[in-house]
Amino acid sequence: MNLPRPCHVATVTRRDALLRTGLGLGWLGAASLLETEAAAANAAVAPAPERIHRSLAPRPPHFPARARAVIHLFANGGPSHLDTFDRKIALEKYAGQEVPGTLPTERRTGAALPSPFAFRRYGESGLEISDLFPSVARHADRLLVVRSMHADVPNHEPSLMLMNCGDSRLVRPAVGAWVTYGLGTENQNLPGFVAMCPGGYPIKSTENWRNAFLPGAYQGTYVDTAKRKVEDLVENVRHPFLDRDAQRRQFDLTTALDRRHLAARDHDPQLEARLASMELAWRMQAEAGEAFDVTREPQHVRDRYGDDTQGRQMLIARRLVERGVRYVQVWHGEGQPWDSHDAIGRNHARLAKECDQAIGALLDDLVALGLLESTLVLWGGEFGRTPTVELPQPGTDIKEISGRDHNHHGFSVWMAGGGVKGGTAYGATDELGFKAVDKPVHVHDLQATLLHCLGLDHTRLTFRHSGRDFRLTDIHGRVIEDWLA
Amino acid sequence: MRHISLTIRRARHLRQAVFPLAGLLIAFSTTFVTGPQTAAAISPEQEKLFEEKVRPLLVARCQGCHGTQVAEGGLRLDNLPAVLKGGDSGAILTPGDPTASKVLKVVRRELEPAMPPDEPLPAEEVAILEAWIAAGVPWSGPGTEGPAAGQEAIPADMEARLVWARQRHWAYQPFTRHPAPEPPAGLDPAGSREWGGLLDRFMTAKIVAAGLEPSPQADPRALVRRLWFDLTGLPPPADRVDAFAANPSEEAWGAIVAELLAAPEHAEHWARHWLDLARYADTMGYAFGNQDPRYPFAWTYRDWVVGALASDMPYDRFVTLQLAADLVEPSAEKADLAALGFLTVGRTFLGNPHDIIDDRIDLVTRGLLGLTVACGRCHDHKYEPVSTADYYGLYGIFASSQIPAELPIIGAAPPGPEADAFNAKLAELKAAVPAHEDAVRRRGTTAAIAHTADYLLETARPTPRKADNRPPRLADAYDLLQGLLDRVSRGIGSAAPTDPIVGPWVQLKGKSDEEIGSAVAALLAGWGDRPDAAIVNPLVVAELRSPAPPTLRAVAEAYARLFARVAPDWAGGPAAQPDDPPELAALRAALGAEGTALVVQPGEAMQLASIEEGNEHRRRKMEITRHEAESPGGPPQAMVMIDREQLSDSHVLVRGNPGRPGELVERRLPKLIGGTPASRTSSGRLDLARGIVDPTNPLTARMIVNWVWAHHFGRGIVDPVGDLGLRGEPPSHPELLDDLARRFVEEGKWSLRWLHREIVTSRTWRRSAVATADQLAADSDNRLLARANRRRLDWEAWRDGLMSAAGVLDTHTRGGRGVNPLAQDAMHRRTLYTRLDRQDVPGILRIFDVANPDAATHERSRTSVPQQSLAALNAPLVIDAARQVAARSLREAAGGDDARIERLWRACLSRSPDADELAAAKGFLAIAGATNPDFGPWEQLAQAILASAEFQFTD
Repeated sequence: MNLPRPCHVATVTRRDALLRTGLGLGWLGAASLLETEAAAANAAVAPAPERIHRSLAPRPPHFPARARAVIHLFANGGPSHLDTFDRKIALEKYAGQEVPGTLPTERRTGAALPSPFAFRRYGESGLEISDLFPSVARHADRLLVVRSMHADVPNHEPSLMLMNCGDSRLVRPAVGAWVTYGLGTENQNLPGFVAMCPGGYPIKSTENWRNAFLPGAYQGTYVDTAKRKVEDLVENVRHPFLDRDAQRRQFDLTTALDRRHLAARDHDPQLEARLASMELAWRMQAEAGEAFDVTREPQHVRDRYGDDTQGRQMLIARRLVERGVRYVQVWHGEGQPWDSHDAIGRNHARLAKECDQAIGALLDDLVALGLLESTLVLWGGEFGRTPTVELPQPGTDIKEISGRDHNHHGFSVWMAGGGVKGGTAYGATDELGFKAVDKPVHVHDLQATLLHCLGLDHTRLTFRHSGRDFRLTDIHGRVIEDWLA
Repeated sequence: MRHISLTIRRARHLRQAVFPLAGLLIAFSTTFVTGPQTAAAISPEQEKLFEEKVRPLLVARCQGCHGTQVAEGGLRLDNLPAVLKGGDSGAILTPGDPTASKVLKVVRRELEPAMPPDEPLPAEEVAILEAWIAAGVPWSGPGTEGPAAGQEAIPADMEARLVWARQRHWAYQPFTRHPAPEPPAGLDPAGSREWGGLLDRFMTAKIVAAGLEPSPQADPRALVRRLWFDLTGLPPPADRVDAFAANPSEEAWGAIVAELLAAPEHAEHWARHWLDLARYADTMGYAFGNQDPRYPFAWTYRDWVVGALASDMPYDRFVTLQLAADLVEPSAEKADLAALGFLTVGRTFLGNPHDIIDDRIDLVTRGLLGLTVACGRCHDHKYEPVSTADYYGLYGIFASSQIPAELPIIGAAPPGPEADAFNAKLAELKAAVPAHEDAVRRRGTTAAIAHTADYLLETARPTPRKADNRPPRLADAYDLLQGLLDRVSRGIGSAAPTDPIVGPWVQLKGKSDEEIGSAVAALLAGWGDRPDAAIVNPLVVAELRSPAPPTLRAVAEAYARLFARVAPDWAGGPAAQPDDPPELAALRAALGAEGTALVVQPGEAMQLASIEEGNEHRRRKMEITRHEAESPGGPPQAMVMIDREQLSDSHVLVRGNPGRPGELVERRLPKLIGGTPASRTSSGRLDLARGIVDPTNPLTARMIVNWVWAHHFGRGIVDPVGDLGLRGEPPSHPELLDDLARRFVEEGKWSLRWLHREIVTSRTWRRSAVATADQLAADSDNRLLARANRRRLDWEAWRDGLMSAAGVLDTHTRGGRGVNPLAQDAMHRRTLYTRLDRQDVPGILRIFDVANPDAATHERSRTSVPQQSLAALNAPLVIDAARQVAARSLREAAGGDDARIERLWRACLSRSPDADELAAAKGFLAIAGATNPDFGPWEQLAQAILASAEFQFTD
């Protein structure tokens, strides 16, 4: 072989190289996987100035963090705050009447529609939560319910983009992409940003977890949690023909060839990194398979979550965060399930029943494992719903006059753990629940505060693209200190 | 950097908290001195206050816009003299006198422009400013005497900034001739070769000046492999590598270079690079559920790019056709219309015209000039000499252009029954759209005329609107339409009171019901028994007479009966007869003819469509797209852009808000590239193209030369590649870039092939990737290119390489509709020919850093993540290739295992194995599990090699 001759003195001879890689000398099984791990860890550098992004290595935050991971439970479609976390007695008073405060939303709405659900006070804090979420309500004293959220427009697409990427229209990276760009991830054997959605994509599909102009490594890894088999959940995680032993022998041959190739090239750092990444991939096969495999949990644990799609995906979320995944997004389902334009009583009851037990169990486990302190759990949709009833129009799918339209003027989200103040209701909507009036919080503010909890200053987390420094919150966003414990 | 993209600002919640002022301030007030302070005179307390409170406040809140980099309004707040001088509108403060200081009013938002613009200053910070002014503006440390050295501000005035930027920024200046550095005297022959061509002389001089030696020329085998991937994106055949290794002469090298530059595979490979810049994809992005997001003919643009590169079309022509193929003189070939896909294959943002135009402006300015203009949508560029007027000058050019409803056919479909069937079906589908529009128009007009009285009454006595401002819904669930209400108001409500037909309505509509009876009676009395038809139409009189309407609603209903009599026959009215009396004809002309208030014109039909009808409309259009995208037999069409009939200039949209039009800007080029006004008789795209490729505009040649360089070396002379602006990094080799760009135009006549040859025949490009210790110490980043950069294959080269190793890559079929990149049956096509859905880029493509198709990409990001390796270990693509490699090696090898191993190595790595590798392979075959008949030892061996670093990297 006619390899380029290395020039500097500390050159390994060809014989040394062979000895080192063991290719000539009974190399079978001799390859050490651990040797380059240190090199990989040392390669951890801030991503921006690097030519080759060794991009997922953990990086320190700007300042001490409250949370090191995020679980974002995305009730896509727009859950009604009025039937869940923002009780409005006035709706009963005005039931069936036209109300003056009706604001423009996507479709035409009519009279005030009281919630069909009862509310109770929970915990020492006495937070009011509807009967839709009894298991979540057990954790009332850990919840920070923000009742004064507002967004920009009453349509799914732009509101999803705003909530996920910080801008309604332009192509911007998702929050999870920004966070993994800023902090890397703690477990190199798993993706840093996972987006789970059972049955297919939500509206706006993969845009919700895109990397946009950030390097591709920061995109969310999509997992269809309607599937049950591990090899269907994670792409390329298993060889279709080889068992582990056979693949191990094959892998050893490849890495032995690689080591020799590397040694003949003066241990070029780029090739070192590639070899390290091969070895990480090898371990990822095992670890990803394990992390996504909920059958490894005892039956009683699976029962607590519920042995169904939501139960499985919440359990996976816990297993991922336990293993150091930075950002986990759990979508309720394909399309826009929470979009109850009609029959809100029936539809919201079904949807909440699907996920309440699993969310409660997730919070139980995060508490029991001591993970809640360092994990910020965020629940919410892209907007809320109107206090007034939606009126039918030809061509829409409304069958009965008993639903609510989209409402971006005011809605609720809740957070738990990750250094936020539990047992707290923050802000308020107006008397009917149409519009955030007391301490309004824009989505940019939520995002700025979320980054703050992770130890990131939203004004300093920037990426140079198209001749300017971009950030998640653009020129907006303010950290809401009142939320911090 | 804080970017002030001033989109629509939100009213911010004022901070509630007012902290008690620091003890400092109180201590400070005791040393209160009236009058300006000199630096020497300030007390330690004052200094503490300034350094701890005031300076941080100025830095955090003000200097982003009034500081070193920018001085908005001519105001800088980073040094004392500037603070005392104030801005363009004069002084901002009076030392010692807070009440007379304008700046305090501005930060309290009592005076416009309120500052800071985003968010009010917290009260405690206002108090700090007040105390500081009261104390006479004490300043200490840097900035006392004036701006720090080298911190000259960018002029705020755009004209001044233009002059300033042209004087000082390298990229805005014309090319200068730089004599190539001479080699030092007395060099030995080996050393002097490094000073061979002009390019090498510029490069080597810098290496030597840094006290380094360039790496030697790379091994011939490594060179051939590098060249093949670099020029064609494909691996070299092993025997070609052997042949060059046997005779590595300059002549042989030149011959290979010439051969590869002329090969169609070269055009395909570099077309893919260009498609990144053109943000190419085969779909429009996110679409509504009943819309087909596919572009059935995006591929005609892709094929045009391949063809243009294959014919070495001069770059100025290449650019001109992509911007204005429809406008060039003499007319371009029909096939060249496909070039306009450059502008039209972008995302469509659910049809939002502002975003679509923004995307095109960014493509043209950043993509072709390396200049960021898109900021101008909302505000003048913060640093560059680019204003909102520059942006909206371009905006008008694109707003005066459109994609026609019918795309031109640019080639013949293969004749035969398939083509006939295609055309028949297409005609049927196309006819279904106007048929539906017609039905909508009929339904909508009939319903509107049936509610004539309600429309009239609503315009006369509007129902109070709720906050959602929707027009009322009637008892029969009919929603009055705002568009028609407006037309009724305009067409009838605002008619002259003397109008013979609607005049009476105009006179009556303002009356209360109590007044109607007498008012009608007065009108009737005034007209007399035999009304003059020139004053009032007799049919109107008849309606108002029998019986006289007692309320305004009754008047409206009387008019409704008149409308009904002359409703168009297609909307339920009686047909017009030739012998209709003149008063009926006049009534028809006023109320029932095309264009009257409640008669909807064909082009307007969909504006009054119900949601259901709108869905159906999109569905029918989707059928056409689907047919064109899927059915065989159709002719190719060009995704053109043409000029609109109505050309228009654009207003500046203040803060990018379409609801806030500002100054009108005539269509023109950005001032930085000459500001030439666009033709008044066309959109101006041709003028834009001419301005871009004008040899006196130095940006274009610099951009493309740097871009080509970056793809050959893995990094641009200017880095990052797409930013030639003030904020970009200066070039590593400015003289070389100038020289190469100038010669590209003058000697090369804009030939990209000339440029490629210039580069790949240089000594510099052919250096070894092996670094010396000195090089690593002095230039770890390899800016000097004393050695080559080792590079990982991009997604396309990797996938094509797999298929090529497998011996199944189809290098004969070129062009045509895209194929599914991950489908097994499409594997043999080059990756260039695979479809890309910008809405759903497959995970494996993103993992391998495929360009984001939503913005012009000059160079892809380069990541190294384990998912790439996971793909090498398990992806179906690799496993399938391994099986075919194994089969090929069996097919091609005569003899035993040794020969087969050799075939396998040569297929994958373009070389034979050495003895150690041969032994290792045999050892592996002996122990490899044969657990699965579909993936035996040979398949496993093949995959082990395909997964190796050597396969994936070039040296």
